[in-house]
Amino acid sequence: MALYRKHIGRRSTRRIRNAAIIVILLLFAAATLFPIYFMIISSFGDPVEAAAMSYSLWPGKISFASYQFFFDYSTYSLRWIGNSALVAGSVMITNVAFASLAGYAFSRIRFKGRSILFSLLLCAMMIPYQVTQVPLYILIVNTFHIQNTYGALILPGVVTVYNIFLAKQFMSTIPNEILECAKVEGCNQLQIYLRIVLPLSKTVLAVMAILTFMDSWNTFFWPFLVTNTMDMQTIQVGLKNFRFANTTYFAPMMAGATVSALPMFILFFSLQKYFLEGVTVGAVKG
Amino acid sequence: MTRKAHVLASVLALTVSMTALAACSSNSKDNGASPSGSQSPAGSASAGAGSSGAKDTITALLPPVSSGFQDRFEQLSKDFNAQYPNLTLKIEPASWEDMTQKLDTQVNAGSPPDIAFIGSEGISKYVQQGMMMDITDSVTPEMTDDYDKTPLEYMKNGTGLYGFPAYMEVHAIGGNKQFLEEAGIDWKKVQKDGWTFDEFREAIKKGVVKEGNETKRYGFVFATAGVTSKDYLNILIKNAGMPASFTTDLKYAYTSKNFLEVLKDVRVMIDDGSMPKELSSIDAGKRWNMFLTGQTMITGKGLATFENSANKNNAKIDANDGSAVKGSIKVDYIVLPVPTFLGQEPKSSTVVDGYVTFRGKKEPTAEHKANVVKAAYFLASGQVAATTNNDLFAAHISKSGRKAAESMTVNRNPDNVAAVQTLLSHATPARPDIPAELGAKAIKIEDEVIIPKLQALLANEIKPEEMYEAVKAAAVKAFGADGVVTD
Amino acid sequence: MTTPTMQTAQQAKTGRKRRIRGDGVWGYAFIAVALLVYAMFTAYPVVSAFFISFQHYKPLGSTFTGFDNYAATFRDPLFWKSIRNTLLYTVLTVPVALVLSFCVAILILPLKRRLQTTFKAIYYLPVVASGVALSVVWLWIFDPMPAGIFNRFIAVVGAHNQNWLGSSATAMFSLVIMAWLSSHGASIIIYLAALLGVDESYYEAAELDGATFLQKLWHIVIPFLKPTTLFLLVTGVIGSFQVFQNAFLMTGGGPDNATTMVGLLIFNNAFKYFEYGKAAAQSLILAVIIAGISLFQFKFLGKDVEY
Repeated sequence: MALYRKHIGRRSTRRIRNAAIIVILLLFAAATLFPIYFMIISSFGDPVEAAAMSYSLWPGKISFASYQFFFDYSTYSLRWIGNSALVAGSVMITNVAFASLAGYAFSRIRFKGRSILFSLLLCAMMIPYQVTQVPLYILIVNTFHIQNTYGALILPGVVTVYNIFLAKQFMSTIPNEILECAKVEGCNQLQIYLRIVLPLSKTVLAVMAILTFMDSWNTFFWPFLVTNTMDMQTIQVGLKNFRFANTTYFAPMMAGATVSALPMFILFFSLQKYFLEGVTVGAVKG
Repeated sequence: MTRKAHVLASVLALTVSMTALAACSSNSKDNGASPSGSQSPAGSASAGAGSSGAKDTITALLPPVSSGFQDRFEQLSKDFNAQYPNLTLKIEPASWEDMTQKLDTQVNAGSPPDIAFIGSEGISKYVQQGMMMDITDSVTPEMTDDYDKTPLEYMKNGTGLYGFPAYMEVHAIGGNKQFLEEAGIDWKKVQKDGWTFDEFREAIKKGVVKEGNETKRYGFVFATAGVTSKDYLNILIKNAGMPASFTTDLKYAYTSKNFLEVLKDVRVMIDDGSMPKELSSIDAGKRWNMFLTGQTMITGKGLATFENSANKNNAKIDANDGSAVKGSIKVDYIVLPVPTFLGQEPKSSTVVDGYVTFRGKKEPTAEHKANVVKAAYFLASGQVAATTNNDLFAAHISKSGRKAAESMTVNRNPDNVAAVQTLLSHATPARPDIPAELGAKAIKIEDEVIIPKLQALLANEIKPEEMYEAVKAAAVKAFGADGVVTD
Repeated sequence: MTTPTMQTAQQAKTGRKRRIRGDGVWGYAFIAVALLVYAMFTAYPVVSAFFISFQHYKPLGSTFTGFDNYAATFRDPLFWKSIRNTLLYTVLTVPVALVLSFCVAILILPLKRRLQTTFKAIYYLPVVASGVALSVVWLWIFDPMPAGIFNRFIAVVGAHNQNWLGSSATAMFSLVIMAWLSSHGASIIIYLAALLGVDESYYEAAELDGATFLQKLWHIVIPFLKPTTLFLLVTGVIGSFQVFQNAFLMTGGGPDNATTMVGLLIFNNAFKYFEYGKAAAQSLILAVIIAGISLFQFKFLGKDVEY
């Protein structure tokens, strides 16, 4: 935090500076939060069809009828959330584990073919997923025959190139001396990874965990393709079922969207605390 | 070096074992209920002859055809199983817009469901992919005789029959009775005799209510945002002497001068102020809201089921419990025909949706085919069809459906029922003679030229003539100068 | 420097020689799972798509057509239009997003920890909410009628009613606004995480030299964040080139293909028209374009970044 002058003269000057910053941040926040705000206040509306759209910026009344409607709509509502949590949780854990391993190897271990393998991985990021979708579907459904299982939902996402890239970029900023030291002291690479690199990368791993969880949680198309019974669907697939031919149950859909976003907030806040503390140990003095 | 090789070898070994595992699971799976069309040889060998043969599972991908439809899925599967104890009907629900995507991916991958509910215009696209199952040799005469001839024709392509129709609906437009009468429009006469575009243009001009410079009520609002613009143009051109994209001698129709005239009229209605100038981004939900809140006199497209929605909202207004559409007024929904252009015959734009049958990568066995036909017929006839069509206020198109519906009551305006009957009497006939390849090209022109240009025309960015020339150029490119209508 | 690995120092001397050679083995072991998953679920489909791009694809037996799909793509004016649209969208969104995220991260930095957390959470919210649900809200915001939220907003400023998504002039701009006002959450927290990783001693040294805020920003922060910026830039551009959902849900590519991006075009070819071979060819062309731009970014910006 010492980017900012620590002893900025008087206390009041610092207060004014911080107040100004907060005002700017709040303005930007208001602009970005507007759609979310709209989503939430709409979810308190009555469960009537979308024709009832109104653009009131303030909720006329607060009713939880739409939430009720959402959970009554299908006996599987809670199960959808459970499925999403299971899939996103698994994908999050495997990604943190394997992407950090691979990221460390690609950034800090010299081995033959390293740069070629990494460029290969990067290339894959550049292929639009619209096209890999069909071969992937053929692989999962026609070759492995695992459609409508958790395996089909989890396996393709076990470790993503994006996360490897993210881990590698961060780990390349770890000062070389630390790693050299450990080497001289006789650590093997696994020990270096576990005892030095991982603790130093807490921040990026927490970020990765959140991003991965969120990404998986919000994925719609893939789970939609590989599930074919209601009990295996994820919350995003379930949400879409609210939409009917010419009408949309808007308020319940927004209630569902709010419900589906809730676990993310919880995860986010809990992880946030953890990685802030982890990282500020050395960096913050006052 | 040796250790590297070691690791590589173990990675390789892992890969191999994974593949082996996958192969294992695929074998075991094949012996069980096969997902689609691909009956395992073992299963069919032990089956023997007769309808009460081996166990079989039929998969169906179904959208919410009517509001109560998806809730009945469990019951449907049970009823079907009671009728055919050896068969299991596995129904997969999907919303309308997701359904096509899922079906298309499955078709591309060569593993579609046995049955899917789609619009008949989609058949040619799947036939061209080679993934539809021709059931001509598996249907019984009782089944085909059950259906009215016109809708059944829509399920055909070339010589093949690819499923059973669920309903035939006409695309009409819908009016607010009170506003129509205020504007001095004799809607009963229009329902009977139809109207020309000039009469229609005058009528919707009279429907406009202004307050200062601001329009409080439009004469006519049609949903044209995104893909719905396709419906708008299609409905109009059917009444301008172009009932299908190809003439009877298989020339592409939309290069006709009449097409240009319709485009000019599309623009005129907006320029008159009878339709909003923001028309190009009004979607289906929005215009229905405008209709219920009295912001327009006539709306489109109109399906019979909208009368039901309007009635429901009226009841909610009466109940006064705040559940009605905000700001809405009571509306009597009146079915109106689409105006005719240039003295042409009225031809109602007809929608036939139905349960179509697919095949997998392997050639389906005769027995599985017969089972699929049983399931499709089960869904498209009798009690199931009657309930669904009544939900939709749609006419019944099978004898068994009509019979089952006799005991059900529907609350409909008799004038509207009569008007729909009149419209159905000049329904556009099916065109199974249009080869799948030509049909696919026409769809592509529609998607790549007609719809984008129409959006630009509605947004007042190009002139009708420019759009006409663009369509003509694309058509000549696709079908040759001899393959298109010149007049 | 004390490390928790002192106890292994003894073994280190004896095993030193083998260890240096052994590093490579560790490398392969560490990437094994990633590589396996990659090979199965990414590389295989890509290779498969590559072969399909030379075929007229049909589920029941494709025919080999050589370079037809590629030739047809290069002749297709719509393909070029979609490339132009995608470029425009990328140029308008990615740099703005980067600058915004960077500024916000810098502004958040001096705040108390609790406030930091709150702001991070706030900016992250739009990313968290389901894209499908939010697109419905955005459709409301861009309602073309005078009652629409954005139209009411600009009416206050005295501007005319706009047909936001319905007119070629404003449709692309509307999608850009949508991008500006959402989806910065991830970049902000990635930047912030990187900012918190800047070693204190750098600032202290600079302060002793009497460096100003801007000087510290320019000489310490920006160079230090270069790998992060590069990462965000490259992934941002890649993401932007593949952008599909917003156009698909909001405009369907219209009006008059003004918002048809390459991603949407490929999707349409693959699913709407069943020209799967052509879609595969187009996506490979797109991949080459993206690879070229990424390489350029690495070369241009990544000179002193180890990657």
